[in-house]
Amino acid sequence: MSTTVQSLVNQPYKYGFITQIESDTIPAGLSEDVIRLISAKKNEPAFMLEFRLKAYRQWLKMTEPNWAEVGYPPIDYQKIVYYSAPKVQEKKKSLDEVDPTLLETFEKLGISLSEQKRLSNVAVDAIFDSVSVATTFKEKLAKDGVIFCSISEALQEHPDLVQKYLGSVVPVADNYFAALNSAVFTDGSFVFIPKGVKCPMELSTYFRINNGESGQFERTLIVAEEGASVSYLEGCTAPMYDSNQLHAAVVELVALDNAEIKYSTVQNWYAGDADGKGGIYNFVTKRGLCQGVNSKISWTQVETGSAITWKYPSCVLVGDNSVGEFYSVALTNNRQQADTGTKMIHIGKNTRSTIVSKGISAGNSNNSYRGLVKVGPKAEGARNYSQCDSMLIGDNAGANTFPYIQVQNNSAKVEHEASTSKIGEDQLFYFTQRGISLEDAIAMMISGFCRDVFNQLPMEFAVEADKLLALKLEGSVG
Amino acid sequence: MSIPSTSVSVTSSAAQTRAAYLSHLLALAQRSETTLPWLRELRDHAAVRVQEQTFPSTRDEEWRFTDLSDLLAVELAEVGGAEVQAAKLAELAKFYLPEADQSRLVFVNGIYAPQLSSLHHLPEGLTIGNLVNLPEAAQQHLQTYLAKQTGAEEVFTALNTSGLSDAAVVQVRKNLVVETPIHLLFVSTSSPALIQPRALVIAEPNSALTIIEDHVTLNEGVYFTNSVTEIWLGDNAQANHTRVQRDNLAAFHIGKTAVSQARTSRYTCTVVNLGAKLARHHLGIHQTGEQTETTLNGLTVLHGEQVGDTHSTIALTKPYGTTRQIQKNIVDDRAHAVFNGKVFVPKEAQLTDAGQLNRNLLLSSKARVDTKPQLEIVADNVKCTHGATVGQLETDEVFYLQSRGIDADSARKLLVHAFAYEVIESIPLASLRQHIQL
Repeated sequence: MSTTVQSLVNQPYKYGFITQIESDTIPAGLSEDVIRLISAKKNEPAFMLEFRLKAYRQWLKMTEPNWAEVGYPPIDYQKIVYYSAPKVQEKKKSLDEVDPTLLETFEKLGISLSEQKRLSNVAVDAIFDSVSVATTFKEKLAKDGVIFCSISEALQEHPDLVQKYLGSVVPVADNYFAALNSAVFTDGSFVFIPKGVKCPMELSTYFRINNGESGQFERTLIVAEEGASVSYLEGCTAPMYDSNQLHAAVVELVALDNAEIKYSTVQNWYAGDADGKGGIYNFVTKRGLCQGVNSKISWTQVETGSAITWKYPSCVLVGDNSVGEFYSVALTNNRQQADTGTKMIHIGKNTRSTIVSKGISAGNSNNSYRGLVKVGPKAEGARNYSQCDSMLIGDNAGANTFPYIQVQNNSAKVEHEASTSKIGEDQLFYFTQRGISLEDAIAMMISGFCRDVFNQLPMEFAVEADKLLALKLEGSVG
Repeated sequence: MSIPSTSVSVTSSAAQTRAAYLSHLLALAQRSETTLPWLRELRDHAAVRVQEQTFPSTRDEEWRFTDLSDLLAVELAEVGGAEVQAAKLAELAKFYLPEADQSRLVFVNGIYAPQLSSLHHLPEGLTIGNLVNLPEAAQQHLQTYLAKQTGAEEVFTALNTSGLSDAAVVQVRKNLVVETPIHLLFVSTSSPALIQPRALVIAEPNSALTIIEDHVTLNEGVYFTNSVTEIWLGDNAQANHTRVQRDNLAAFHIGKTAVSQARTSRYTCTVVNLGAKLARHHLGIHQTGEQTETTLNGLTVLHGEQVGDTHSTIALTKPYGTTRQIQKNIVDDRAHAVFNGKVFVPKEAQLTDAGQLNRNLLLSSKARVDTKPQLEIVADNVKCTHGATVGQLETDEVFYLQSRGIDADSARKLLVHAFAYEVIESIPLASLRQHIQL
């Protein structure tokens, strides 16, 4: 590893600022009273409080899982603030009423909430700490019958829909962090695409953690009815704190007959400094249910941030001929740890799934792919193709793969391949000898390595993801 | 994952059953006798290791897909030396290999059977025999090797050591190339019994040998074979090891092969698993020097309700290691194949080239496969790949053969055979290849 390249600037985390804004924060700690308080503050229907309390009681009986290839000091759940909201509590009619400091924050992050200024066709729901701040393009979407709002708003306006689908894919006691989320989640996005509607624009949610002690527990629920389709994006950043913050989100997707959901994530939470101090613990449960025939759920993720990433976006393929896809780039640098992958559960006939995972580990980081492909006895003709490639940069980085393949049907066809490689000195030499600088050469090679995944991202995000990766790796390649 | 509260009481009583069974196994193992004080010490030490552990359940990651609860219901007994009945053992001749007719060690129920073994015209420098009959000097020497492999503390390995009263020993002196293949024949005749065969193979620097380890049976009843084979390869030594398991379909078989490879040594292993109701083989390769070569070929053929589990651990610790692994499973009826292949490449093992392939052929709609290839890599200048496939016979291929006048049944047989052939052809002995016609 040449030292000249090593010493190239390590791009500082540019989203690390803290917004000085008054917030309505409840004291740290978790108890049934806190849950009642959250529920009351949000003026929720009675079934929600029951849902939360059921989850909490289950959570108390559960123990924290420890099977992942990640290490972290024990989390004190009584020291976390479970509710923190920007103080202006009146629900905003238009963006003019939103606190200007908040708007500025989102401007800084490159998320323009002012609709007029926007040229691109993306509707945004912005979530600050625990509460949804603003949702754009709502009226336009409503014309097509598309509901896109924060989940607390949905609980007020469409409680029946929420009650019908919430917890139907990720049950309250699914796992430790999902149970915690079910008990205390404060906001998130709700998307409902009615029968036969193709959502006219990309939907997007932007998550921001601001408070140093707060955890972010958001809940996203996307329902696509028969023949509907939607593409949804999520982005996330957080300020730099020395302490670690917990992010335990739950995302549920439901696709009915012939529906299609595409869910893309560009995750750039604060990853901690070079010595691994601070950063977000990103323990997320994401699961999509292909309930109907011919339905399709596609996950695309670019994971670059977080001190620890621990998530497995999954597809449960119940409907016959349904399709699940998972495209992932996970990059770890410095002391970051990632244990990520997917689960493809084939239940229906002729279900198909594709897994493409690219892991890049640099510095002292550790990057694991953990995946499950399960073909049930009734899944005649199921088909899976998995490919997981790792690239190691520097000889202190680790790459692990743990693919589980469980097949109980002989008509299924499952293929898995994995490889590990490095950026070769001779490849770099070839580039530089043609007059291309070292940084550009590395950026190009990484971008080529991740091409299969970036191709799945919507255009603007693909460009952003490409740049993000190049920035993250600067100073670590050679 | 947490245990749902409702099943807590059930789980704890199941845990008690497992603990009781492990004590029962240990007590049985310890009944075998030994007069050697150093062996007594080794056994006691292993017994402590067993007591510290629990009998595995499917909640243990290593045993997640292999359920041993059927074994818990089996009341095992001690094996007696008297069971070596000559009349029945005439049948054993069918397992003899003409290539190794004068270099055969036979163990009946884990006990050495000198009248069946055949050791003639062997080169000077080759020590072959059973541990307790070896000269004291040789025994002294073997103490530094016996039960000293990495992973000796694992519960079934320690259980074997805790009852160790004798072992098959093969030692090849420095610079000696043994041309004759050595046949280690382990036969079980007793039921219900706990049978614990043990083998120790030492290849000194620059030596070479071929070993056939064959587990066969002459009875139809239930028994539990818990075998351990330890292989030590010195610098530049070469070993070609074939392990065949042909236990009866009521038997349980847990086997361990632990291999330690010094600098530039070459180890080739071909494992064929055909028998047992539940069979598990754990192959542990530990590299201790640079530039080692490891080739692992595995074939598991299962039908009925058999369970066949292959675990392999390849731990590379030095640069320039090469490993090639292929594991093929053919699963019919309601059988269940398990594969878990681990490859560890720490920072020191730069320039490692590791390849692993697991291929599964499912012949029935009720057959089941659980596979988990696993790579853990820290070194950056390495080439590591793994692949896994699960599928059935291609209808196109069957059709092609049918169109050439071969009936569907024969066509399928032909294709299954072709699938297995890649592994079978790596067996170095023609007579043994003949035995393993599917």
